[in-house]
Amino acid sequence: MFDRDVWQEIFNTIKTNKLRTFLTGFSVGWAIFILVMLLASVNGMQNGFTNQFNDDATNSIFVRPGTTSKAYGGFEAGRRIQLKNDDLEYIKKSFPDDVEYISARYYANATARYKSETGSYSVQATHPDHQAIEKTLVVAGRYVNEADVINKAKVAVIGRKVAEDLFKNEDPLGQFVELNNLPFRVIGIFTDDGDDNAERRIYAPISTYQRIYGNTNDINMIALTYNPTYDLAKALEFSGRLEDLMKRRHKIDPDDQAGLYVFNYAEAFENISSFTAVLKGIGIGVGFLILVAGIVGIGNIMVFTIKERTKEIGVRKALGARPRQIVNLVLLESVFITAISGFVGLLFAWIILAALGPMFQTPAFSNPSVNLSTVVTATIILIVAGVLAGLIPAMKAANVKPIVALSDK
Amino acid sequence: MIEIKDLHKSYKMGSNSLHVLKGINFKVEEGELVAIMGSSGSGKSTLLNILGMLDGADSGEYTLDGVPIKNLSETKAAQYRNKFLGFIFQSFNLINYKSALENVALPLYYQKVPRKERQEKAMQYLDRVGLKPWATHHPSELSGGQKQRVAIARAMAAEPKVLLADEPTGALDSKTSYEVMDLIQKINDEGNTILVVTHEEDIAHMCKRIVHLKDGVIVEDKKIEQVRAGQYV
Repeated sequence: MFDRDVWQEIFNTIKTNKLRTFLTGFSVGWAIFILVMLLASVNGMQNGFTNQFNDDATNSIFVRPGTTSKAYGGFEAGRRIQLKNDDLEYIKKSFPDDVEYISARYYANATARYKSETGSYSVQATHPDHQAIEKTLVVAGRYVNEADVINKAKVAVIGRKVAEDLFKNEDPLGQFVELNNLPFRVIGIFTDDGDDNAERRIYAPISTYQRIYGNTNDINMIALTYNPTYDLAKALEFSGRLEDLMKRRHKIDPDDQAGLYVFNYAEAFENISSFTAVLKGIGIGVGFLILVAGIVGIGNIMVFTIKERTKEIGVRKALGARPRQIVNLVLLESVFITAISGFVGLLFAWIILAALGPMFQTPAFSNPSVNLSTVVTATIILIVAGVLAGLIPAMKAANVKPIVALSDK
Repeated sequence: MIEIKDLHKSYKMGSNSLHVLKGINFKVEEGELVAIMGSSGSGKSTLLNILGMLDGADSGEYTLDGVPIKNLSETKAAQYRNKFLGFIFQSFNLINYKSALENVALPLYYQKVPRKERQEKAMQYLDRVGLKPWATHHPSELSGGQKQRVAIARAMAAEPKVLLADEPTGALDSKTSYEVMDLIQKINDEGNTILVVTHEEDIAHMCKRIVHLKDGVIVEDKKIEQVRAGQYV
C-alpha cells in the first residue's frame, strides 16, 4: 500500500484530471460537511436539553410524601404521609448496593441578616451527601459534613447571590449570619450551574434544623442517587422497587398515585435521549443520502479513468500485473480522493463549528460541536465510501482483457 | 520451448461462429527466431494471443517450457506471462507518464523485485538497447525507434523464456525498422527465443524460420537463410 510506484500513478491521474477530480471530490467533501453540521446541530440540541437538567445529578431519584387518595390497610383516604429520619436509614439499609448518595431535605424559609443587610431566603437542611446529588459547587470553604450533622452545628453554606446581597465586599467565611435571629457561622459559598435562583439558597445541617423546629425527626423529602453504572432499565427497575417498599412501609395502596411520589430523573432523560436519538438518526440518514450522491460521483470519475486507461491496464496485465494489483490500484486511488476531499469537508465543518459554535447559548440549542467519535465515524464512513465507490470500477479494470492492448492495428 | 498440438479456436459472431484456427501444430526450439506471416484474417494474431496467454484455445494442447498451459486463472496467467513471456507491441505501449527507466522496470515491479535492484537491472537493459542516456526521458520525448527499443528492453527485463513481438516494425519507417530488427537479431544471437508476427517479407527474412498461416492453418513452415539487418543500418 505504501508503495512509491502506486502513489506515483495515483498522483499522476489526479494531476492530469485536476478539474474533474476537484469537482467529484467536492461532492464528497460537501456531503461530509453537511453530515458533520447536522450531527453537530443535533449535538447542540442535546447540549441545550442537558443543560436544563444538569442542575442535578442525572442519576438522581426524589422521594416526596403526599396525601393518600385510597383507603388501604385500615386507614382512610386523605391521610398525610410524613417521612422521618428512619425512612432514610431504612432505604440505606435496604438498598446498600443500589444507592450511591442519599440525603434528606428539610425545607424552611429564613430571614437572613448580616449587619444592616437583610433578605429572605429558602433554607434546605441536608445531609453531606446532598452536595453530590445536587451537584453543588462549593467555591470557597466547605459543605456541611458529618461532624456538623452529629453536633447539630449552627453552620450555613450560602449561595453566591446570598453572599453578594448580604456581605457585599466582605469575605463571608467565618462570619455569623442570623437566620431568623439565630446566628449561623458561614462555612462555605456555593455556585450552581442551574440558575440564579438556586444561588439564593442556604444549606444547613439537617439535624440542626430539626432541633430548631421542635426537636422533630420529620423530613420533607429524600433525595438519592443510584449506582451510576446502572443503565436505564436497571435504574427504572430500582426506583420501582424503592416505590413499592416505601409504599408498603407507609401502608399506602400500591396503586395509589398520590400517597408517595418517586421521581426518577432517568425517566425524563429517557424521553430526551430518545428524542435526540431520533434527530441524530435523521441527521445521519440525510447526511448519508447526500454522501451516496458523492460516492456515485467518485464511482463515475473512476469508471471514466478506467475507460481512458483500458489500454494501459491491458499492457500492465500483459506484463504480468495480477488482477488484485489492478484492483488495489483503483481502490487506493478512490479511497485517496474520497478521504482527502472528505477530510477537507470535515476540516471546514470543524473550523466553522469552532468559530461559531460557542456563540449559540440558548436553552434549546447550545454549543454545537463535533466530538472525537463523530470524527472517527466520519473517517470510517469515508474509507468505506471510497472502497464502495471504487469497487465497481476496480472490478471493471480487473476484467480488462490484456488482449485489448494488442488489438491496435 | 513451445509446443502446440492440434490447436483450434473459433469466435462467436452473433449466431454463426468463425473458425479462426483450424488445427495448428507447431514447435519452437530454444534459441529460434521465428516469423509468423500471413495476411489479415489468417489467424496469426489469434495464434499470438493464445501463445501469449491472452486468450484461451478451444481445444488442443499448448506447452510452454514444459508447463502445460490450460485453464489458467487470471492470477496464474498473469504470473506465467510475467515469468515466461515478454511482449513487444506494434504501438510500443509504453506508459506515458513513466520515464524510460520506469517503463523498463515495470515487469520487475510485478515480480516484486525491490526498487533499487529493479532500477539497476532496468538500467542494464536500457544500456543493452543503447538508450542509457535517455533513461530519465518520457516516451513523448523519444523517437519511434527509441520507443520500440525501450519496449524491447522492457520485454527483456523480466528475463522471459520467449519474446513475442507483434508487428514490432509496423509503426516504423524502414530505416528504424532495420535498426529494431538488428537489435532483435542480436538478442536472438544471445540465445533468446523470439517469435515475430509480421506481414512484411523483408522483416520475415531477417528471421531464421518463416511460418506461413492462411485461413487458420499452417501452409508453409521453412527454415531460411537469415538476412542480417546490420548491413542496412
